[in-house]
Amino acid sequence: MRVCSKRDLLAACLWAGATVAAVAVSDSLLLRTALGAPMVFLVSGHTVLRAIGVRTTSALEHFVYAVGASLAAGIAGGFALNAAGFLTPLGWAVWFWAVTAAAALVAAGRRDTPDLPAWPAPARVRLWQGAALMLALLVATGAYALAVRDEAAYREFKYTAFWLLPSAGGGSGRITVGIRSAETQPQRFDLEITLDGQPFAVFRSIAVAPGDTWAREIPVPVLATRQTAEARLYRPEDNRLYRSVSTLVPRI
Amino acid sequence: MLMMPAHFSAGTRINPLQAGIRFVSGVVGPDLRDGSADAPSQRANSGWIAVLCLTIAAALLLVVAGHAAGRRGYDVAPPLFWSGVVLLVAPTGLRIAWPTTARGERLFLLFLLAEALFYCKMVYSPTSFSGYDEVLHWIAAEDLITARRLFLSNPLFPIGPTYPALEILTTAIVDLTGLPLFVSGTLLLVILKGTFIGALFLFLESIAGSPRISAIACLAYMGCSTFFLFDSMFSYESLGIVLCVLTFAVEAASKDLVGRPRLKSLGLIALLLASLAVTHHLSAAFAAIYFGALAALEALRRHDPLRIKTSIAVGLAAILAIALPSLWVQARGIPLTGYLGPVIESGFDTLLGKILGAPTPRSEHLGAPDKALYMRLTTLLALLLVAVGLATGFFRSLAMAAPSGPRSGWRPIQDIVKRRWRDSRLVLLSLLAFGLPVSVAFRLTIAGWEIGNRMGTFVFIAVGLVVAVSIVHFWQGRTPRGWRRIAPAVALVIIVLGGVTSSSINPIHGRYRVAADQESIEPMGIETARWAKEWLGAGNRFTTDRINRLLLAGYGRQDVRVTIVEGIDPARIFEAETLGPDEFWPLARSDIDFLLVDLRLTTAPPVLGFYFQPWEAQQGAPLSGAALLKFNDVKGVTRIYDNGWIVIYDVRGLHESL
Repeated sequence: MRVCSKRDLLAACLWAGATVAAVAVSDSLLLRTALGAPMVFLVSGHTVLRAIGVRTTSALEHFVYAVGASLAAGIAGGFALNAAGFLTPLGWAVWFWAVTAAAALVAAGRRDTPDLPAWPAPARVRLWQGAALMLALLVATGAYALAVRDEAAYREFKYTAFWLLPSAGGGSGRITVGIRSAETQPQRFDLEITLDGQPFAVFRSIAVAPGDTWAREIPVPVLATRQTAEARLYRPEDNRLYRSVSTLVPRI
Repeated sequence: MLMMPAHFSAGTRINPLQAGIRFVSGVVGPDLRDGSADAPSQRANSGWIAVLCLTIAAALLLVVAGHAAGRRGYDVAPPLFWSGVVLLVAPTGLRIAWPTTARGERLFLLFLLAEALFYCKMVYSPTSFSGYDEVLHWIAAEDLITARRLFLSNPLFPIGPTYPALEILTTAIVDLTGLPLFVSGTLLLVILKGTFIGALFLFLESIAGSPRISAIACLAYMGCSTFFLFDSMFSYESLGIVLCVLTFAVEAASKDLVGRPRLKSLGLIALLLASLAVTHHLSAAFAAIYFGALAALEALRRHDPLRIKTSIAVGLAAILAIALPSLWVQARGIPLTGYLGPVIESGFDTLLGKILGAPTPRSEHLGAPDKALYMRLTTLLALLLVAVGLATGFFRSLAMAAPSGPRSGWRPIQDIVKRRWRDSRLVLLSLLAFGLPVSVAFRLTIAGWEIGNRMGTFVFIAVGLVVAVSIVHFWQGRTPRGWRRIAPAVALVIIVLGGVTSSSINPIHGRYRVAADQESIEPMGIETARWAKEWLGAGNRFTTDRINRLLLAGYGRQDVRVTIVEGIDPARIFEAETLGPDEFWPLARSDIDFLLVDLRLTTAPPVLGFYFQPWEAQQGAPLSGAALLKFNDVKGVTRIYDNGWIVIYDVRGLHESL
């Protein structure tokens, strides 16, 4: 049996209005997702479908067409908002509200707006079946969480990054040296800095824990000629050169 | 025994040649067994659904474990991953293909299977986009969110900004919900996957008139090499194929409508085609080909009282499908010929060369990337089964389009030849299935692989239908017994598994591999790109190899360059053993600020055949460390960053010395 009512149009308009309000005043991710995602994927397309007057024969057909029409409304919105210089969260909310309201008005004003297709009868679900479905959902969600955790935890390459940079502004007589550890164990290093081959600064036994960054900004004399600063990193246990980096000190 | 006329088994004497011809005719001929394809309507079985949901959840757990083992390089990774995939596909596939399953249950299970396969793709990289094309679109979406303007240039993907629909929708979700870009993109892809299956099911059901054929066709479609990975990526074709199939579904559903209802459907088709025109060039081209061919078939068709009105409606859809993408290309000045032309030209040249025995071009000397033997065998077996399905289903599909329902012998085909058919869509899809051998032939060449892969996405819609008709009307019938119940369903499961095995070189997350697109993207490269953004700031001019270029543009927000100066590729600078005048002066004259050198490139030859640009021909030897580190001793160049594998050189001093 088909559903002959236009209350869905009013509901769609209210939904669109609530989305505008949520985007304008709320930072709640949950509220905005609950209102905004159906707006992008379904609600606007549903009213567009009703405004065009396309007759659908099943709930599946209606949903699929409504998603398609929503995507089309969203794409059109991108171009319209770009032209208006209003590609902002509020711009999007207003766009979907405008599309939904305009389409709902057109659909409400038509005499030949087709009825909505009937909903399929809900399947009878027994307790064990419901429990099995919930368990399946839990296992799938848990598996995804495991995948996220594993991706974050496992690193194929363990390394220590070492850098030497001129100051960002240039010409201010400072250089920046830094160490970042992506190792599995805390590391200790000795650091030597030279200017045009002459010893300039030394740091002994710098401890860097996994995930930590050690960085220092070092003032250097600024000359009329260009100088090369070089930094060398040594591991104290074997006193062997581990990393070497260099940079140019800007002239006056 | 296969289906044959009764007199074969009557023991009468017949000519062996005639018997052979009749046998072949019985196998591949247009005989539609039992007429109706569907068993009497049943209710969906919630018990089966619950059990299959649990099975799929267990399968997904195995897939996740497979990826985790793969990251660590354990040998147990393939058994874990593939047992998960088999557990995922086999029981659900068997239930979908079972002759007596209810329509609603088939649909639910199709959605479940499609989303579960998408889940398998997602857990490869569960917190970020990792495919090469995905990162390109992610960069474009980030640019859109940052600048709040469309059509921003993208040096790594020059044509991308002119097809911004995917980025528009993703940023709409980001802006309305506040969700991160990756989550919004994933949400969009989940919806697109479900919509695609729903639209494909409706489209095929409209033209075949059978939910069973439609469901089996959707299942067979999952055997397409692009379903598992390529069309599940955060990339414009994933949206394009959905809009494309939606237009087919709306048009097919309106085939019996006339007057205003038909016009209303045409309105929706126009809306979808306009969206498609700005979404993806190839999907729009396929829609144009489909509607153009449909209009041509309608014009050819005879003896139908509704012919003129139907032909006009289809003709209008064809005009829209052709005109809208053309207008968009003209309006934006899109260099489509320059973008697609070389790929198509070299693909056709290579294929024709192979057929005619011409000398093999240089690109073909690279050889295909290595792939596990069991994956190749599964793909081959799946292809063989699809071929059997096409052979036994082609004339039967055509016969379904014949005007007066199922009849014995070749009469339905004679009707088709005389241009009398009931539904041009069925005729078109049956003929379109011939595209599969062509796409497979292209896939056998290096230069034509891209064409074959893209063709498969669209051709498999027709292939799915023909295979489904073959299963329902030849291999199974309406109420199959014995092996006929099981064997065709098992064949379908193998076809779907073939779709997974042919989707990529290795769908399991493995250890880092050199120049292998998503297999080369790992945390160290990403963190180096982030370091560049944090310590050097955004927008510095960088050049490096293909993978690090992508990471620097995406995670590092750097201005990456694909050429040093006009006509000089980065490969020339990096691959030369010494920095001679031919390399030094272009670099000094350029505006490049930094070079990034990844010493891992010296550990193996490039998996995909190139380190820097696809058009380079590598000889299979890895780059030398001395070549990459030659900048250490160049005056004016400083080595500002080193993590043991990745080195960044500051070359701004070179420009000052000029």
